[in-house]
Amino acid sequence: MRIATIVCACGLLLPALVSAGSLPDGDEIARRVNARDEGVAVSRNLTMQMTDRHGKTRTRETRAFRKYYGDDKRTVIFYLKPSNVRNTAFLTWDHADPDRDDDQWLYLPAMRKVRRISASDRGDYFLGTDLTYEDIKLESRLGIDDYRRRTTGEDVVDGHHCYLLESVPVDEETAAELGYGKVEQCVDNEIWMVRRARFWDTKGHPLKTAYFRDIRRVQGIWTQHRIEVENHKTGHRTLFLFSDVDYERGVPDALFTQNALRRGL
Amino acid sequence: MACERWRCARAAVVVLSLAVTDPAEAAQADISHILSSRLAVGTDEARVQQFDLEWRPEVRWRFDGGGRLTGMGRARYQPSDGMRTGDLGRGTYSRPSRPTRLGDRLELELRELYYERPVGGWYVSVGKQQVVWGKADGLKVLDVVDPQSFREFILEDFEQSRIPLWTLDAERPLDGWLGDGWTLQLLWIPDRTYDALPAPGATYAFRSPRLVPRAPPGVRVRLNDARRPGPTLAASDAGLRLSRYAGGWDLSFNYLYQYHNQPVLRQRFSASPVPTVEIRPVYRRTHLIGATFSHASGDWVTRGEIGYFTERLFLTDAPGDGDGVAASGELDYVLGLDWSGATDTFISGQLFQSRLSRHRSGITRPRLDTNLTLLVRRNFRNETMTAEVLWIVNTNEGDGLVRPRLAYDLEDNLEVWLGADVFYGDTEGLFGQFRDNDRIMLGMKLGL
Repeated sequence: MRIATIVCACGLLLPALVSAGSLPDGDEIARRVNARDEGVAVSRNLTMQMTDRHGKTRTRETRAFRKYYGDDKRTVIFYLKPSNVRNTAFLTWDHADPDRDDDQWLYLPAMRKVRRISASDRGDYFLGTDLTYEDIKLESRLGIDDYRRRTTGEDVVDGHHCYLLESVPVDEETAAELGYGKVEQCVDNEIWMVRRARFWDTKGHPLKTAYFRDIRRVQGIWTQHRIEVENHKTGHRTLFLFSDVDYERGVPDALFTQNALRRGL
Repeated sequence: MACERWRCARAAVVVLSLAVTDPAEAAQADISHILSSRLAVGTDEARVQQFDLEWRPEVRWRFDGGGRLTGMGRARYQPSDGMRTGDLGRGTYSRPSRPTRLGDRLELELRELYYERPVGGWYVSVGKQQVVWGKADGLKVLDVVDPQSFREFILEDFEQSRIPLWTLDAERPLDGWLGDGWTLQLLWIPDRTYDALPAPGATYAFRSPRLVPRAPPGVRVRLNDARRPGPTLAASDAGLRLSRYAGGWDLSFNYLYQYHNQPVLRQRFSASPVPTVEIRPVYRRTHLIGATFSHASGDWVTRGEIGYFTERLFLTDAPGDGDGVAASGELDYVLGLDWSGATDTFISGQLFQSRLSRHRSGITRPRLDTNLTLLVRRNFRNETMTAEVLWIVNTNEGDGLVRPRLAYDLEDNLEVWLGADVFYGDTEGLFGQFRDNDRIMLGMKLGL
């Protein structure tokens, strides 16, 4: 009990101590963010509301699953509504080995075929939303090898204190792949989650801003339930809403297969 | 008609009775609808070539026991001359699979009705359903498990032109048998339905000598009913597929024992009382052995498939050929290369080749037949707008087809599109035979 009390007290005091003195190193912040428990597997509903600059909104309702296999990760998303995109499904196998391309497959019901797709389009926008394939892949983590980081200051987002982490792609080629010239994340120094991210394009112009909200514990794991993204260039916005998040229900391996894409939920 | 309905109903009852063995206390029904319409105006004669109205309901029930029952229907109203329901040969359908015609313009079809569930280590799906093999787009090599309607040649989406068959499909992982990662698929298809071909005089009736025999001037042609395999289990088709993912490669090895979906057009000439060529379509067994692959690397995806058909029969116009056909093996393959290196842009090229193992003089198709396809697609405005153009060319005849299309999501569930189908080349060719059928199209699809 005494040890637990000490650890707990240190945890509470640490942010205050750090903010009183020098700011923590950017790589250390990224390490802490990526070391956060995300659970081995999760199932959840994901609703995507996409609104163009004229206010017209499209809504996609999906069921999504993710599971870690060591450092590798597999993710599958099944589209449920509306009916004209229903049964579309997207499967990704993310390999931890940086020298190995990720594997991605897309099932389009109009073709009745699972189609292999290139995983190199990291900077392409994910199925009409304002997050890229790379953003979706990272979920709440940070890309370690793609960026050089430094801590530039502190801020408060939605009432939560956070460190400002400036991330710049390691080279021009990576910047072109990602579609970003710079990213600034505001990382909550209590739960080590990003509360806000600002993105600049490769020419240095403001590109988009994302807010990560409604963060609460689910089965002991801090979980974002709402992501709001606004593209400043196009005026397009996407709202991601997560519900029925479950880390304990168990996610069968068979879901992350091409046969599962074809059969649907 | 009553007999057809009874057979269809009997097959449906078998599927439904399987479903009711599943605990249904909390069965959930999921119902959706697609309404679509297309208007095509022929550019040569400035007349309405086609007008379609379709309603496609889909119902899916999920059962507590892990089973799922799926039903899909299609009601299609098509009043345009040359494209009506009566303009499609219907003798190629088995009775349980045959759509119900209400008059000459309206057709009702049970597209799919199947029950699926895990059974032991297997995943079993039984009922009327689509089975799709292969990696090619636009043209087919291994995607021949199910037959196809050629009502619009190859212009209709394959999902709608493919004819679902009453099929038992069983799949299981083979971990430990052949090493990890293999999946086995077994097919049993007792449904004796074959390609549905446009009737003579229909808008897309075949005219190329590659596909239909031509009689000399002054000789009458009589087309007899097709000789179909008998209604026995021995007439069933059967298939097997082994597939796996290994080292970044998707691989499959396929075998299909089937009555080929396209009939052999056997001919017999009689000189009296009037010179006449009698044509009788006959269905013949083939063995299909094939394989597929796909692999992604950087911005590129390579994919391909190959299939060898044994004992095919091809039309010949050699005077010495008594029945107008000649036997040969047929090797078909496709190599495809997809590129998506630029944002929201997709470019895909394919090489299709078909080679006959024995090419006797007089066979109306070349020994090596080559088709190329090129697809360029670009998305705009957060994927609410898509512009694409597909070009298919046959290098032997120099004929081809160009299909530009612009689609826009007008509402969340409403897509409207504008397109064109432009044929060119010699009228003897696969595509050139329809050079008078160029059309501009306007369509919509509403999901409910």
